[in-house]
Amino acid sequence: MERVRGPRAILAAIATPSQRSPNAALIQALGDAVLPVELGAGGVTRAVAEFQRWMDGYNPGAEANHGYGTGRIGQLPADPRPQWRSQLAALDADARRTGRPFSDLPRERRQALVRAALHNERGDALPNPLLARHVALALLAHFYDSPAATDLCYEAQIGRQQCRPLSAQRQEPVALVRNGR
Amino acid sequence: MTLLRRQARAEVIESDICIIGSGITAALVAEKLVEERPARIVVVEAGDDTVPLAERSAHRARFVAYGESPWGRDHIDGMTADGIQSRSMQVGGLAMHWGGVTPRFSPEDFRVKSLFGVGHDWPVAYEELDPFYHEAERRIGVAGEQGPPGLDPRGNPFPMPPIPLTYNLALLKRWTDSAGIAMWSQPSAKNSVAYGGRAVCCRNDTCAPVCPVGAKYSPDFTWNALRASRRVELVPRTLVRRLVVEDGSNRIARAEAVRRDRGGANGSPVHFRARTFVVAAGYAWSPHLLLLSRSDRFPQGIANRSGMVGKYMTGHRNVFAFVKLPLRLYPGMNEQHSLVTKQFMRPSKLDRYVRHDLRVWESSVGRRPRLKGDDGAVLLGDALLADWRRRSTEGTARVRAYYDVIPDRESALTLNESAKNAYGDPQPRLTFRDSPESAALRAHTEDSIKALFQRMARAGNGEILRSGVDDFQDHPAGGCRMGDDPASSVVDSYGRAHDHENLFVVGAPTSVSGGCANATLTFLAVALRQATAIGRE
Repeated sequence: MERVRGPRAILAAIATPSQRSPNAALIQALGDAVLPVELGAGGVTRAVAEFQRWMDGYNPGAEANHGYGTGRIGQLPADPRPQWRSQLAALDADARRTGRPFSDLPRERRQALVRAALHNERGDALPNPLLARHVALALLAHFYDSPAATDLCYEAQIGRQQCRPLSAQRQEPVALVRNGR
Repeated sequence: MTLLRRQARAEVIESDICIIGSGITAALVAEKLVEERPARIVVVEAGDDTVPLAERSAHRARFVAYGESPWGRDHIDGMTADGIQSRSMQVGGLAMHWGGVTPRFSPEDFRVKSLFGVGHDWPVAYEELDPFYHEAERRIGVAGEQGPPGLDPRGNPFPMPPIPLTYNLALLKRWTDSAGIAMWSQPSAKNSVAYGGRAVCCRNDTCAPVCPVGAKYSPDFTWNALRASRRVELVPRTLVRRLVVEDGSNRIARAEAVRRDRGGANGSPVHFRARTFVVAAGYAWSPHLLLLSRSDRFPQGIANRSGMVGKYMTGHRNVFAFVKLPLRLYPGMNEQHSLVTKQFMRPSKLDRYVRHDLRVWESSVGRRPRLKGDDGAVLLGDALLADWRRRSTEGTARVRAYYDVIPDRESALTLNESAKNAYGDPQPRLTFRDSPESAALRAHTEDSIKALFQRMARAGNGEILRSGVDDFQDHPAGGCRMGDDPASSVVDSYGRAHDHENLFVVGAPTSVSGGCANATLTFLAVALRQATAIGRE
């Protein structure tokens, strides 16, 4: 019988870096290039750090939530991090061919490299980040799936999927406080 | 409390009442029996104990982050049906995963033959069930808004005030008002105030599959209280494989089971002896057990002299649409709460038969961020956010109607001899089939509902983004149909098997039809009424 893991073990798994994540400086440079400037430098750093934590906590092959009305038991996908690490290295290698590492390139040139890498990706939606075929797409998908991104889009404090007072749902969400949140 | 003695081959556990299954129906039946009379009650559950409430917040975090199952080992390898059947075999059953949506059926659901000339009437009327509906609402804790009394009759108020409408739903209610549809807050087994020692809902919005704070009712809460009181013995990890009839009578003598956690791969045999047996294993495993209990004396299985065990499996299909509306909505305020109406439960006798419910939710369909703009260029940085904002200035409503599907006799659960579990028992195969009259009505029904959606969209100056039909039968039930005639049913309206005086089947499997709404509360009301007869044994 498989033992159910307790919350401490689970939280430890989320919090403990696995050393399998892509290079931190490179991923920060990628975040600076693809995430909205409107987030501010602190916001981008937070989003990148959350992406890193999310990657570190991933448990490939864990049992997926099984949907209603189906007998099928699925597993989460294989570990995408080796591929994402290679892609980051490839972005850096492409940059170095122009004479500078990826993290030292101007933002527009970093964006140009990313655009080329994502050229053939599906455009009408962002994927489940675990299924993103490129690390830049995974970072975008992870950020835009967050409650913070929804609040930023609607410029309102919705707090999607977070514990909020029930009675407050009657009111229109209050406006997002700029640069103070 | 329980007499336990070792025999040469099988452990024996004796009780007054043996309940097979520990889902939501079993939980409420056990709770009621404990309150009504002193009796030794043993509950047998094939699955493991479930994840404790204290651990659910952490499990939910991983579900939200990665899509991991929050329920640990909630299923048994090799125990699965061919056909629609959710994998949840654990203490608490499928209602550990449920969304907590608890409308009642409408009075018409029980009398479709008398009122509309289609399908079959139930052997019990809404008016008889009303106090048991209320009892179920009280036991699990339902927050609800009284709808127009003519459409939504009830003898007692809801035990809790309604989950309030979100800002989004208030706007959508104005829209449905403009379309001439009276809608109200969907009743839910979620705490709008502290209730039953459990917390108030705080809109985590993952009711299905998991509520991290216990505001949504789940059967483990009832089992925890019953086990703590030592008034019920719950035996988990123990699979009942067959019921055995006493020689020389039609009474059930014992339930033969296997402890999965003892005795290695073959398990350890255990016999449950009781004066009364209650099969409360849901729509799939209840008829499955009766069919598995075949013998030389009962070659079709037990309780099956009529040949009706496994027949008339029932449910309802839905038609859905996403409607673009010129409203500023904020997706994510409480996506699982909805508006509901029963306005379409009473078709005119002059019209061709169509009956359905209607629900409306906020939605983010058509409003999600995307990678490429209209020109196909990759969007990065502020451009992606700006594109998302531009496409989110208006709102989307999700609308859905469950419609009545009249089951065919051959809408059936059978034994699949080509798929056996670890103990060699054939697994169920479920084949849902509309009756000929229902099949003839299908296109008309679905077209009528789509036309309603179009009319609603026009009333709100909106447009349908997309619509469709989910081609499966939701909220499955049946297989041990109740009825007054032993030739055409398995149990009477109190769940007592026509063929075996000390055998009861309760809840979902006894349903005659699937109605037009989420059915759990109806299963519970029926089961609580059935428990009154069990309690008199």
